[in-house]
Amino acid sequence: MLLVSYSFAAFLAVLLLGCFLVPERFRWLFLLLFSLIFYGAGGPQYLVYPLVTALSTWYLGKRIDRIGREAKAYLKTQNFDRAQKKEYNRSVKKRQKRYLILGLVLNFGILAAIKYTPFFYEICNGLLGIFGLSFGFSLPGWTLPLGISYYTFQTMGYLVDVYNKTEEAEENPAKLGLFTLYFPQLTAGPVSRFGALKETLFSPEPMSFLRFKRAGFRILWGYFKKLVIADRLGPAVLVITQDPQTYHGIYGLLGILGYTLWMYADFSGCIDIVLGISEAIGIRLPENFDRPFASKSLAELWRRWHMTLMQWFREYIFFPVSTSNLAKRLSNGLSKRLSREVGNRVPLYLGSLTVWLVTGIWHGASWNYVSWGLANCVVMLASQELAGVFKSARSRFGFTKTKAYGYFECIRTCLLFAVLLMFQYYPFPVVFAMLIDVAAGSRISDLFDGRFAGLGLAAGDLWILALGLVLLVISGLRKESIQDLLLKKHWLIQYLAAFGLFLLILLFGVYGHGYDASQFIYNQF
Amino acid sequence: MKKRGFVFLILSLFSIAVLAGFQRLVVPKYMGQVVEGNFTAEYYRETTPHQVLFLGNCEAYENLSPVVLFREYGITSYIRGNANQLMPQSYYLLEDTLRTETPVAVVLNISSMKEAVQENESYNRMTMDGMRWSSSKWKAIEATKTEGEHMVEYLFPVLRFHSRIKELEADDFTYFWERGTVSHNGFYMRADVRPAGEFPAERRLSDYSFSEQNWEYLDRIRALCEEQGITLILMKSPALYPAWHSQWEEQIVSYAEEHDLTYLNCMDHLDEIGIDFSQDTYDGGLHMNVYGAEKMARYFGELLKEIPGITDGRTDPELLAVWEEKGRFYDSMKMAQETEFAEHGYLSQFTEAEPSSDGS
Repeated sequence: MLLVSYSFAAFLAVLLLGCFLVPERFRWLFLLLFSLIFYGAGGPQYLVYPLVTALSTWYLGKRIDRIGREAKAYLKTQNFDRAQKKEYNRSVKKRQKRYLILGLVLNFGILAAIKYTPFFYEICNGLLGIFGLSFGFSLPGWTLPLGISYYTFQTMGYLVDVYNKTEEAEENPAKLGLFTLYFPQLTAGPVSRFGALKETLFSPEPMSFLRFKRAGFRILWGYFKKLVIADRLGPAVLVITQDPQTYHGIYGLLGILGYTLWMYADFSGCIDIVLGISEAIGIRLPENFDRPFASKSLAELWRRWHMTLMQWFREYIFFPVSTSNLAKRLSNGLSKRLSREVGNRVPLYLGSLTVWLVTGIWHGASWNYVSWGLANCVVMLASQELAGVFKSARSRFGFTKTKAYGYFECIRTCLLFAVLLMFQYYPFPVVFAMLIDVAAGSRISDLFDGRFAGLGLAAGDLWILALGLVLLVISGLRKESIQDLLLKKHWLIQYLAAFGLFLLILLFGVYGHGYDASQFIYNQF
Repeated sequence: MKKRGFVFLILSLFSIAVLAGFQRLVVPKYMGQVVEGNFTAEYYRETTPHQVLFLGNCEAYENLSPVVLFREYGITSYIRGNANQLMPQSYYLLEDTLRTETPVAVVLNISSMKEAVQENESYNRMTMDGMRWSSSKWKAIEATKTEGEHMVEYLFPVLRFHSRIKELEADDFTYFWERGTVSHNGFYMRADVRPAGEFPAERRLSDYSFSEQNWEYLDRIRALCEEQGITLILMKSPALYPAWHSQWEEQIVSYAEEHDLTYLNCMDHLDEIGIDFSQDTYDGGLHMNVYGAEKMARYFGELLKEIPGITDGRTDPELLAVWEEKGRFYDSMKMAQETEFAEHGYLSQFTEAEPSSDGS
């Protein structure tokens, strides 16, 4: 079920009405039912995947937890000395680890099999091709279950938390089912942690008009970003990016900037919708964006963009990898052979490299995405290495303390982010050629040579886009969210703003018959 | 509390009014080159009942003049026909008509039997948008909607036509409150002439059977007429293209015989009707112009007047006054079109661009 569909509007209306009518203590069950309906709308067969994940995670989590509790109880009955205790705990951890690994292999295995088999098939076929061989069969095409990455990451995070004893295992399989399948976060995240979500998920806040209003503003703002900005901008950007032979020079620059804006409007719009819906039904999901384009460095931008996923990577990949035995061994080895400074950098480099490799592959099963991830990693590690140089340079020049320089840093970061995004689209050399072309061949006059008409944007569309982008920039510059800002205003202003936004979406949104209801870009993960 | 309730009420009314206003603004007005989108709605302006109801697609609304039918025979009639009107739509328009009146006879143009599904969403919109909301409209939409059409877009047409906000024309403002009358009791008048010419060879079909759904709705139309004591007549209008295959003809003849219905294929009576395809068509033989439609009305009136229950409405002064008014509108439009055609050789309202001097 698409968030941009009439069936979803009907689904949401019934859900909200139900949330008002169903007693609070049963609301989580009601939400589980609706999440199953939401997920099953694409075909009941797709329910198998998340149900396998939910049930296996619930069972394995309980096993891990029980082993731990039984061991604790057993230890109380025994008079072990310290060494014996340590040895016993090690054996317990080993047993728990078996279940953890089983869960990780099973669920990441499903994800990998469904999402990455074609990618690995291509790689292996390529390798076989070197020896004049090939698999001799083609892979059957199958549809990616909705939100498989999101729920797999969430549940595996939970399993690791149970293993690490930072979280108690959930006794009720239905509750873990809701944690896995809670429909708003299946579309494009956020990736929630069980500990942070369970309280609000299983005991939602009472329905209130104020929260409903705030959520309504946010949902409208999300749909505005998606239907008025993203879906108007997207097709034009695709014309440029898919035909770089025709659209080069200044059009290349338009494509680079347009792609970033499109992605932001689409993704953050989706997040506003799902967080708004969740808020309306009394469940607060974690934020996923924090004005990313106000960042002054790429690392900062990535802390503010898709925040929950990056936190997940940091928690479950970066820290384990950088503190792993391998990292320690490598660090020690290099410290001895080269220098202590080099050795000390190993955990950071190894952790970052792994995180960005996974980030790249997570975003798309192709070499382009891998190179995009690695390019981000290289830029961030390089800026970290050069941080001292930059700092001393900044201290020498007074203008670096001005507001204007701050804006320059933001624009520079946005441009860097936008250029790196091109790696998702084109192979490495093409991006460089494109950048050279943009730098050398950009002429404003080219915008009036007739090629612009091919983008499919009429004058009306440009005005609407301009209005949308102005609103986007204003909202991006303010620390306070649009919904919080509106809540402080007079009720008449609130009404006019909400009704005006609704009218803009209704009249200028790209939707309806003849429009191929495009998925949110981040649906595909 | 009272004040809050009042404010809420005012704001709700204001919101509804604004939304309704925008909806009215963006919905196509069909007052330019394509006027067919107004036919369905115009029926509801009628103030007097009709003895005969014509149903069908373009072959129904372009090929017979109700004004001449009244003038010559005193038979009151209305054509509930639309571009590419499908059999289910004809059935539900009949059902809709029977809510307010019961005609003596229903004449069903059977050329739509060959259309299994709607070929274009816009035909559905032109047929259904003007229909008043009832269970009949709902069912008609459900039975004929094309892929991607949604009921909600019929309930709130702004959802379908919202993108027209960028391409509004003067007509959208001129006819915001009310649209002009474009038909003559459902008849689409064209007083221009384009003689019949060559047609591309008709392709043979692999299967000439009508769809199950069309048979079902033909049965339902027949049953509804029987139930209401209405005489059902099946007809095929004169048209040279697209071809009406003999295999189709045989199926309709056999159906009419089986159910004791009158079936008239006008192509078999061209001489009696007096149709001259060099004069009586405005589009080279596909449809009749007003001259052909008037000949059809004169011919068909002879058949209709024999049906028990058909009376001469001209003896009723009230009815006569209403139809005289219709006649004046009919004559003035006909004269205007004739004058324009004689002067320019084309009708500007229905012509995309003015032809150049060399006729290209």
